[in-house]
Amino acid sequence: MYGLVALGYHITWSTSRTMNFSQGHAVMAGAVVAYAVFVALGWPFPLALLVTLAALACFGALVERVAVRPFFLRASPAWLLATIAVGIIAENVAQLTFGKDARAFPSPLMQKPIMVGSAGFYAQELLVPVAGLLLMGLVQLFYHRTPYGKQLKAVAWNPEAAGLMGINIPRAVMASYALSAVLAGVAGVLLAPLLNVSPQMGTIIGLKAFAVAIIGGLTSAPGIVVAGLGYGLVESFTAGYISTRAREIVGFGLVILVLVARPWGLLGEKPSRRV
Amino acid sequence: MRDRLGWAVLAAAAAAVPLLTSNTYYLYVAISIGLLTIVTAGLNVLVGLTGQTSLGHAGLYAFGAYTAALCVTRAGMGEWAAIALAIAVTSVVGAAVAAAALRVSGPYLAMVTIAFGLIVEGVLIEWGSVTGGPGGIFNIPKPALRSHYWTVMLAAALALWLTANLRRSTWGRAFLAVKSSEVAAESLGLSSYYVRIIAFTVSAAFAGAAGALFTFLNGYISPDSFTLQTSIVFMLALLFGGLGRIAGPLAGSLALTILPELLTSLLDYRLILYGTLLLVSIYWLPEGVIGALSRGRPRPSPHPALSPKERGRILDPLPHRGREQGEGAAATGGALLTTSGVSLSFGGISALADVSLTVDRRSIHAVIGPNGAGKTSFLNVLSGFYAPAAGEISLDGRSTVGRPPYALARAGIARTFQTAQVFGGLSTWENVAVGVAGPRLGSILGALAGMPRARIREAAIQARGHALLEALGLAEAAAEPAEALAAGLRRTLEIARALATDPLLLMLDEPAAGLSPTEIVALDEQLTGLREHGGPAVILVEHHMDLVMAVSDRITVLDYGRVIADGTPEAVRRDPAVIEAYLGAAP
Repeated sequence: MYGLVALGYHITWSTSRTMNFSQGHAVMAGAVVAYAVFVALGWPFPLALLVTLAALACFGALVERVAVRPFFLRASPAWLLATIAVGIIAENVAQLTFGKDARAFPSPLMQKPIMVGSAGFYAQELLVPVAGLLLMGLVQLFYHRTPYGKQLKAVAWNPEAAGLMGINIPRAVMASYALSAVLAGVAGVLLAPLLNVSPQMGTIIGLKAFAVAIIGGLTSAPGIVVAGLGYGLVESFTAGYISTRAREIVGFGLVILVLVARPWGLLGEKPSRRV
Repeated sequence: MRDRLGWAVLAAAAAAVPLLTSNTYYLYVAISIGLLTIVTAGLNVLVGLTGQTSLGHAGLYAFGAYTAALCVTRAGMGEWAAIALAIAVTSVVGAAVAAAALRVSGPYLAMVTIAFGLIVEGVLIEWGSVTGGPGGIFNIPKPALRSHYWTVMLAAALALWLTANLRRSTWGRAFLAVKSSEVAAESLGLSSYYVRIIAFTVSAAFAGAAGALFTFLNGYISPDSFTLQTSIVFMLALLFGGLGRIAGPLAGSLALTILPELLTSLLDYRLILYGTLLLVSIYWLPEGVIGALSRGRPRPSPHPALSPKERGRILDPLPHRGREQGEGAAATGGALLTTSGVSLSFGGISALADVSLTVDRRSIHAVIGPNGAGKTSFLNVLSGFYAPAAGEISLDGRSTVGRPPYALARAGIARTFQTAQVFGGLSTWENVAVGVAGPRLGSILGALAGMPRARIREAAIQARGHALLEALGLAEAAAEPAEALAAGLRRTLEIARALATDPLLLMLDEPAAGLSPTEIVALDEQLTGLREHGGPAVILVEHHMDLVMAVSDRITVLDYGRVIADGTPEAVRRDPAVIEAYLGAAP
């Protein structure tokens, strides 16, 4: 679900006012790593999932360390391009190790479609939004109920004051990047059986997730969840009633509409200008 | 001088290539360098000068290429007409994209432009009946490679020349001003939205031109040439060469075209190569190869001397459009600005409550009060940065509520900021020049081509700017980079810049903070001097009581967002409510 990936943008944006422009590549990495350990090496699924998520946390931390930390607090687009650089490097590495072709990812939930009337769907397709919502709930709990989540929120509100209170800001930002990459990795594992696994799968997912984040409002987790569901519905309706090809055009058209009417997103906070 | 020599050597080298070799491969590589230079020169206007990142320029490049190809193959147009039309179409598309995308800026904009590029690529592939689908368009009549070489080289030289002109024009300064401080730029009458749209459109036109020339290089085009990776290479070439440097695009294009050609065996590693190069540029070459080679910041040279005939026209006044000066005087008597019942709150906390006051023409009106009394918030409401929750404000008899900051600046409100916001990347005189020009930037085409009209305008602006610097004692620092000035001089520069807009009302937010005693005396003299010479009315927010008592005609005291006293300095000094607010002593 795009909402899950989009939530990753929200998490890093709200702690550090930066985000990982290769979030889509993290999704790809999740799918590729899961494929490698689960399908290629034949490890049991729970173990494979664990390894994948650990790998993704490392990937997120790496992105932060290499591409964001040197430029954090410097008002320059450098982090933006640096995260893209890391993303394209990751894509190329995946191409070299995995190959350019897409591969199918087997899932027990994709064996036989469940029929409702004349429309059929796979259990996997149901699992994606359910797991997505569940994880979003967990993230919210983490933010509002645990001391560590509250620390991250404090950093988001005022990094300087949070730093003076003894919060280790670089670590908090790194943690937010790791968390954001883990979410993307989960999305990658969930989506792999539906989309097939390929090194090129990341870019478009990352973009759609960003579209969702813009529509919902980067500063609003609930907005992103709602927008994620809405975007998914609009996409499948467009694909069903117009054509699969119109899907992206309608989706990005929506983004432009939202930008023109409410640049800060449907549920986002209107940024107040600092004068 | 050294720069000129460098350019001459480059031109000679470019001219020598076709004489020394008949190998079409070298010509082909050289043409590719030229095309990349044109695109990145345009991109430099957007990214280098305006500070906005686009990763969708491959889409604009594609618009240029396909328009030209269709003009030639379907409409039977000639090469030049096709190129001209391609530039026009791409400019229009660029303006439309910018109008939507520039509602946001920074990271948002980057992502929106990526989406634009992908949509274009998708349409090129899917809309087969027009674009030829994945296969593209074939059999485009093309000129001989050698003559095309000359066309592209001249076009690349032209592109660099145009951007050099632009940088030292009113527009170039406006771009950099918006990049450096949007808020300060708006306070001088510039609409940052509009300025950015123009920058985007210029860069789109360059991309369109390069795209059209690309079409006539191969005689066929296909969607493969216009992917996200192409956009990334454009950005990379610019960053590697030198962001904001005139020669940056050329250096980056040389490197980014020649390097992959040398490393063709590493085709599979191309993304790693680009990614690494990008990281290297960002880490170690913040100003690119050009920045690393030439020490010190670039200083735009002033325009060449004017002919006597042109000089005679310098004194042409720069008329203020949309400002009905003086006509309000009869209606409002001596009052310039009146506010009644102005209220403002932040999330339930009242910052201003029912503030009513009147500022007379040509007077110095101080607004004082303890910290947090709402003084700066009041200035922000008056200059349009905050919308009041209730109340009415009128300047010269016209309501200002609901008008954006740049519109109020055009109507005659100028201001300084509590923390001085000078435009970094611009020299001292250029900062003032942004104020002198304000929204009257002239024609963008004139600025690009360095037309006589633009040069006359420029001379008038420079003359007025230097006069202001002289008057405020900044003449010696005119050529210094503004961000290198000492704190006191920055504040003075801000005042000079605000005065440059020829305001009816000048609002100063703690101008004496951080000044030395001698500097405060000078400020005192400047303020009273302004009043004596028929300058603007002044609203002075200040904590330095000696200064306030010495220069003010009238004082309004705020406490907790309310007016607790209003009157002459003498009356305010004795007011028990004021004494209580300041000293907390309840008699």
